[in-house]
Amino acid sequence: MRLGKVAYWTLGKIGGGIFVLWAVATAIFFGIRMIPGDPAEAIMGGPGSQASAEALAAARAEYRLDQPLLAQYFGQLWRLATGDLGTSYSLKVPVAEVLGELVPPTLTLAVLSLLVAWVLALAVATASIRSGAVGRALASGLEIVSAAVPHFWLASVLILLFSTSLGWLPPVSTQTPAGLVLPVATLALPLAGFLGQVMRDSMLDAHISSFALSARARGESENGVLLRHALRHAALPGIALSGWAFGSLLSGAVVVESIFARPGLGRSLLSAVTARDIPMVTGVALLSAAAYVVIMAFSDIAERLADPRVRAA
Amino acid sequence: MTHARTLAPRVLTTSAMVAAALVLAGCTSTPAPAPGAGNDAGTPVTGGTLVYASGDAEPSCLDPHVGGNYPQALVSSQYLETLYTKDAKGELVPWLATGSTVSDDGLTRTVKIREGIKFTDGTALDAAAVKANFEHLRDPKTASSTGYLALGKIKTMKAVDASTLELKLSTPDNALLESFSMPWVAIESPTALKRSQEENCAAPVGTGPFKVESWKKQDSVNLVRNADYVQPTDSPSHAGAAYLDGITWRFIPEAATRYAALQAGEVNIIDNAQPDTIAAAAKNEAIKHLDAPRPGASNRIELNSSKAPFDDVRVREAFIHAVNVNAGVDSLFFGTAKRSYSPLSSVEPLGFSEESLFAYDPAKAGQLLDAAGYTQRDAEGYRTKDGKRLSLVFPVSTSQSIPAEQSLFQQLQATAKESGIEVKINLLDLSSWYGELFQHKYNLVSAPYTKVGPSVLSILFHSDSTIPAPSGYFANLSQVKNPELDKLLETAGSTKDEAERKDLYAKAQKLVLEGYYLLPLYDQQNHFLYSAKTQGVGTTTYSAKTQGVGTTTAVASPTFFDTWLGK
Repeated sequence: MRLGKVAYWTLGKIGGGIFVLWAVATAIFFGIRMIPGDPAEAIMGGPGSQASAEALAAARAEYRLDQPLLAQYFGQLWRLATGDLGTSYSLKVPVAEVLGELVPPTLTLAVLSLLVAWVLALAVATASIRSGAVGRALASGLEIVSAAVPHFWLASVLILLFSTSLGWLPPVSTQTPAGLVLPVATLALPLAGFLGQVMRDSMLDAHISSFALSARARGESENGVLLRHALRHAALPGIALSGWAFGSLLSGAVVVESIFARPGLGRSLLSAVTARDIPMVTGVALLSAAAYVVIMAFSDIAERLADPRVRAA
Repeated sequence: MTHARTLAPRVLTTSAMVAAALVLAGCTSTPAPAPGAGNDAGTPVTGGTLVYASGDAEPSCLDPHVGGNYPQALVSSQYLETLYTKDAKGELVPWLATGSTVSDDGLTRTVKIREGIKFTDGTALDAAAVKANFEHLRDPKTASSTGYLALGKIKTMKAVDASTLELKLSTPDNALLESFSMPWVAIESPTALKRSQEENCAAPVGTGPFKVESWKKQDSVNLVRNADYVQPTDSPSHAGAAYLDGITWRFIPEAATRYAALQAGEVNIIDNAQPDTIAAAAKNEAIKHLDAPRPGASNRIELNSSKAPFDDVRVREAFIHAVNVNAGVDSLFFGTAKRSYSPLSSVEPLGFSEESLFAYDPAKAGQLLDAAGYTQRDAEGYRTKDGKRLSLVFPVSTSQSIPAEQSLFQQLQATAKESGIEVKINLLDLSSWYGELFQHKYNLVSAPYTKVGPSVLSILFHSDSTIPAPSGYFANLSQVKNPELDKLLETAGSTKDEAERKDLYAKAQKLVLEGYYLLPLYDQQNHFLYSAKTQGVGTTTYSAKTQGVGTTTAVASPTFFDTWLGK
């Protein structure tokens, strides 16, 4: 019976994922074509290009833009379904190849930021719980402020402080660990504020709950209660939020990668949209959607593992 | 034989120069000047990699034949060279060519190609190589726009011998040599052009002082010294190859990051420096400023005369007197942009200015609007005629207008309101902005246009340019359709008499200015900031060798042949 449930759950996730990918591909296909102008001109070097009629005709034929819209749409879906992401208009190389190069730097940035945000959020939550009402109010204020800070502004302040004034860290993100500090901090700080808020609340609930009381009665130390019981409770909403957080990290990457001049998916999405590079925009969006679907599934699984109540339900 | 004869003196001069350079190089082993002695004095030092940080878009192809925009011109000027270029005085001088003649009917142009120059792949530069480049530009598969347009009047071409290229034109074109000076018509190795477009885009092969080593997308283009470089002029600025080992051409889109990287010493030179940054850098002795306005058209607001209310010249004139441009330029550009009163850039020798037409004069604007029938005011204080508000639509492309310019437009909007004119500014991305233009949904518009020489006027103001290109683009955004103007521009473009050309272009500019079809603002902004330790960054051209400075190309992109890195 149990296996049936898992299979059902898995099938549901896969079906939902496919639906999301199809919806994204469709929205992008028609969305970009609603912008006035001719995609062929984007292939010819961007909008307003003064390309000759012959050159435009050649581009239309090469990219099948001379076919009826619906034929283009179904052709596109078929190619996507068979794993062919097409060739970038602006870079003139296969989209899959470009994505292959850009996924690692963005993934590094997102994963590190998520980890740092978790560590920061847990550290602040744990410390504030141990430091009484004033400490909690202070931490809460800090979290609200940092959760509300826009990435763009934070990045500028960090560069001004740590690069221009102190000269400790490079303003341009290099492949060295030092070059990663500011971009990761820019993404991690607002996220930590957000995660911290939620984690601290449930940690506090756990801290004063009856099972914490009974643990203390059994002779468990205050640290032991925090680490063995409260932490686990705090982690639950954190895990649930991490799927969402990862998605927000990808959108944050658009800003951070541009400011710190880091290669990555976010920056290429921005330039692809500006250049009306339809295959590239579609590729990045589908990849992000797929990542989102997978991560949501993982966060579901992690939640089940961490919380016996969800598992039983 | 001819080859050997012309080569001999070159070899001799070169050896003399190498000898001189060696003597000079000897001087560098003397004790270094005391700190604070200033960086300007000193002998060029060989070695080191210059880091250039560009805020322009990353080119999608490093070959400027493909497409043809300014970011490509900037980077390709380091590894590609042109047949002609412009000197410090803005005059056209031969570069990879040695000269050119034109037949009496103006229909046959003979170009002499310089001998003894080699592409970095070893291919020799000759007339056939230049012909192959022009054919490449005209091939629809290349997808050239700027270069393709520049060569539009060439009908057939023939390499008569190794150094002679004969071009037959459909109509006389006295702008052809100016077109040859543009990086979009730069000359590449014909051997390399035979590769696939993908390969050629990744590493075009030219005759320049540097060559493309590698390109890491979204990060940098890595350029290394062309050790065999020969500067194609009779008076080279220095002998031998460039001083720099190479250039790392980085792409840093965010202006504040570029400036921070320059301050931190991570990069040596940045482009697209913003007005506030330039003002801040002026107080910093470690940073220098290079102002190199682009040629061609000035930055201007065009008034769409094809529909109401700007089909009435009185309303156009009223708008121009209603807006206070100078106050906005002064406050928003911190003195980094000089007001223009011409359709052409200040670096165009044939530019014509008429300041008196553009005075801020709300009283006069009011009279003109009264005369045009806008005598009533609505509840919000805007003027109306037959119950219809005097309202202007102004689509602004956020990727082409820098923040200071967008703020200027807002100030113009505010001053226009005082005269009862409503200006609706729509901030749009580039594609949507073009979309509005194609559908004529604009009364006011600001669009850049870079081309070398006054012939840009024909692109912007000839009535032919109101007809959209296949892509939907039309360059005559003010929609001037004036047979007298067309005639002036056509004659100016084909005359062989330089004085007549100047006179005709002046008349044409006077006509568009007096017709109030445009509101000139300032030159196309092209500001560079560089570390004072970086010596010999281009300020003018190779002829200014006494200052030890480098060069800018005809489209004002800096070159780094004479640049070296100080301690």
